[in-house]
Amino acid sequence: MASNILGLFRYEEDFIDAAERLKSAGYDELTLMSPIPLHDAEKVAGLGKSSPVRRFSLAGALLGAFGGFALATFSATVFLLPTGGRSIITFPPFLVIAYEMTILLGVLFTLLGFHVVSGLPAWRDVPYVEDTNVDRFSVVVEVDEKSDPEAARRILDEGGADEVRDLGEY
Amino acid sequence: MSTANTLRDYLKPGYYDEFDYHWAMTIDLDRCTGCSACVVACQAENNLPIVGEKRFSERREIKWLRIERYWQGEYPDIKLRFLPMLCQHCDQAPCETPCPVAATYHNQDGLNTQIYNRCIGTRTCAVYCPYEVRSFNWFTYTWDEPLEQQLNPDVTVREKGVMEKCTFCIQRIRIAKDKAKDDDRRRVRDGEVTPACVQSCPTEAMVFGDSKDPDSKVSQMLNNPRGFKVLEDLNTLPSVVYLQKVEEQGHGHG
Amino acid sequence: MAEYQEPTYAEVNRDVLRTMLVTGPKYWTALGISMTVAVVCFFGPWFYQIHVGVGAAGMNRSAFWGTYLSNFIFWIGLSHSGTLLSAVLHITQSSWRKAIYRSAEAMTLFSLVTAAFFVMVHVGRVWFVHWNFPVPNQMGLWPNFRSPLMFDVMAVTTYLTASSIFIYMGSVPDFAAVRDASTGMRRRLYTIFSFGWRGTQKEWHTLGWAYTFFAVFVIPLAVSVHSIVSWDFAMSIVPSLHQTIFAPYFVCGAIYSGTAGIVSVMFLLRKFLGLERYIREIHLDNLGKLLITLSLIWTYINIMEVFTGWFSGSSFEYEAMKFRMFGFYGPLYWEMLLFCALVPLLMLFGKIRKNWRYMFIISILINIGMLTERFLIVATSQPRKFLPDAFGFYFPSPVEISITVGSFAIFTTLFLVFVKWVPCVSIYEVKETLQPLRKRAT
Repeated sequence: MASNILGLFRYEEDFIDAAERLKSAGYDELTLMSPIPLHDAEKVAGLGKSSPVRRFSLAGALLGAFGGFALATFSATVFLLPTGGRSIITFPPFLVIAYEMTILLGVLFTLLGFHVVSGLPAWRDVPYVEDTNVDRFSVVVEVDEKSDPEAARRILDEGGADEVRDLGEY
Repeated sequence: MSTANTLRDYLKPGYYDEFDYHWAMTIDLDRCTGCSACVVACQAENNLPIVGEKRFSERREIKWLRIERYWQGEYPDIKLRFLPMLCQHCDQAPCETPCPVAATYHNQDGLNTQIYNRCIGTRTCAVYCPYEVRSFNWFTYTWDEPLEQQLNPDVTVREKGVMEKCTFCIQRIRIAKDKAKDDDRRRVRDGEVTPACVQSCPTEAMVFGDSKDPDSKVSQMLNNPRGFKVLEDLNTLPSVVYLQKVEEQGHGHG
Repeated sequence: MAEYQEPTYAEVNRDVLRTMLVTGPKYWTALGISMTVAVVCFFGPWFYQIHVGVGAAGMNRSAFWGTYLSNFIFWIGLSHSGTLLSAVLHITQSSWRKAIYRSAEAMTLFSLVTAAFFVMVHVGRVWFVHWNFPVPNQMGLWPNFRSPLMFDVMAVTTYLTASSIFIYMGSVPDFAAVRDASTGMRRRLYTIFSFGWRGTQKEWHTLGWAYTFFAVFVIPLAVSVHSIVSWDFAMSIVPSLHQTIFAPYFVCGAIYSGTAGIVSVMFLLRKFLGLERYIREIHLDNLGKLLITLSLIWTYINIMEVFTGWFSGSSFEYEAMKFRMFGFYGPLYWEMLLFCALVPLLMLFGKIRKNWRYMFIISILINIGMLTERFLIVATSQPRKFLPDAFGFYFPSPVEISITVGSFAIFTTLFLVFVKWVPCVSIYEVKETLQPLRKRAT
């Protein structure tokens, strides 16, 4: 049966050291939580330099560019109403529309990408302690029969954890 | 119509290869006495509201045709110039493009049309018009009894929030075109369509007709060397040509 | 002067959340007054105008556009503050933006909402204003995308959407902080708002990327929005409006007036919410430097406008310029130059730039000057177009003045509501700037 062990750290370096040690000791199911974004912690958590979110942004921007121009062109051809001696399909105004739609759809798709990639809103119960959003960095190790909970506790303690807690099952 | 042809048409400036008719007007400033009969006729024909003295003093009158009056010189050598100013029905109208809901556009007769039902009253067209010929219905004007009896049934009455301007009496053009179709004729004959202002001018200073018809009176007037267009440098291509006043000394002044 | 003590993480949470969770009578009074003024001064006259017609305003056949449009432009201009501060300074990784950007973004959003109201006040038939939107309808009609007003519709809609998303996503970790510090209904509400945020590295990583992309999208958007608004004027052939300088002029003016707005709001926030430890002199100093730069650019553009007007040799331009500088509204023109070009020069002196009271007064004066500038663009260009017979005059009516005052009340109401619903200082970003507390003390 799986169990979760929480280690709360007050200082950033201890937090990252302990996380690295846990990782090299073979504990893969680690959740690292912090009140601020930390570049080093993201590296330990295995997150690379880029994110899949950018693909959503690009898709949205391209769709918006073509869609905006298509919207303007289509709406100008439904009823042919020439204005001001200009042609029916005029480029300068329609490019402005395409530009705005690029940004609109880019933003909306990025929002979608954020939700898809981060998994928020989270529908299941997950380990969380309120201190971690204020001034503590936390490491949650998920241990099961195969891994050694005692070794994990020891690494956390020796790493300088303020508190080591057993969170039970989730 | 192949797609390539359609696309070529859509990319052509102004869209129309040629107009069906190209209604134009000439106004002879030498004949114009500034009597304002044209203004009154327009008001009667097109159901222009009488806004009242208070609103007029607030510069809120509805005028489709106005007589511009310019003084020149000092007493006793004063000269008075009249310039009847109406919608010039510009072929490159600055007012048509900025309407966000396409309530004004250039139709196949070369007229700059205003669609009252579509207008939401942003008043952008009026700001963009260099001739300031557009009028806005700041309120819903009503006619006291029994003046509503004299309203022209061929023309709608506009409510508040709608922009309006001279239409070259499009209702008369439409009636003439319908009559020509009924008579199995292909075209409206010259002289069959006269807007109210042209009809009422006592000195016959205004001539109206189809400039595409080389035999029409207006086409001949358009060739008059006295002809000029107001604010021609703005390149709006107006359809109204004014004929310079002939001075005693023979020098023309606009 | 006491040594500045950096707050601890816990203190940051406590101080910022206190502004949200503890509400005193002064707040309720302020909210009540601003709501009353908004209803009495804005909505009342507006509904009267819908009933009677746009003639309730002072516009006439020589000036079809009036204060409604000039206020619209003023509020859109004010909205550029947050975007610049938040997005541009995020990309340049400036740390001094961290404490103030949340309120600045809120200002952006609420200025845009206020500006959107002015569109509806301005049109003649407001019950058809939805025809501006490209949605399929029974008539099968679509708007005319060649119109600069349609660019406006698309740009402002996009800007509203992007700004709301931008401020919301940036606040998600702070909503989690509110959730943790509250109970009952509020806790449930903020659990939903924060999407169950925990602060895992995956969440931070994704948020960081998404936020950077939002910033990258929003910056060209902000530049385009006010350029497009300027093209409402510049695409006409009206003499003093038909100028290519208008797009840069308006964007510069927008950022200028927006940044001045931020200084004003920061002064009030500091004073009334007790945030002296977070909004500090360094923020004021940097905002002041930004303001003086923008003031110099703005002054230069104004001088060039006068120069090119004179140099053009066009009698129309000359007449319009003469009317603007020496006509009935001449005093307003010089007042505008005084407040926006001369008074801000005081900020060249550090003593003035670092003093909250002086900067508050200067920022208010700048915004009065900018409001005047928008008014002058509208009121002195239209009555002097081409044909002298059509020259006229425009003076705002009481309805218009009331609606202008009411718009400030709407903005204030929205901002006051914001202060109680969203942490007005970004908790996690402020923590990022508190360096020493992160390392072990040796």
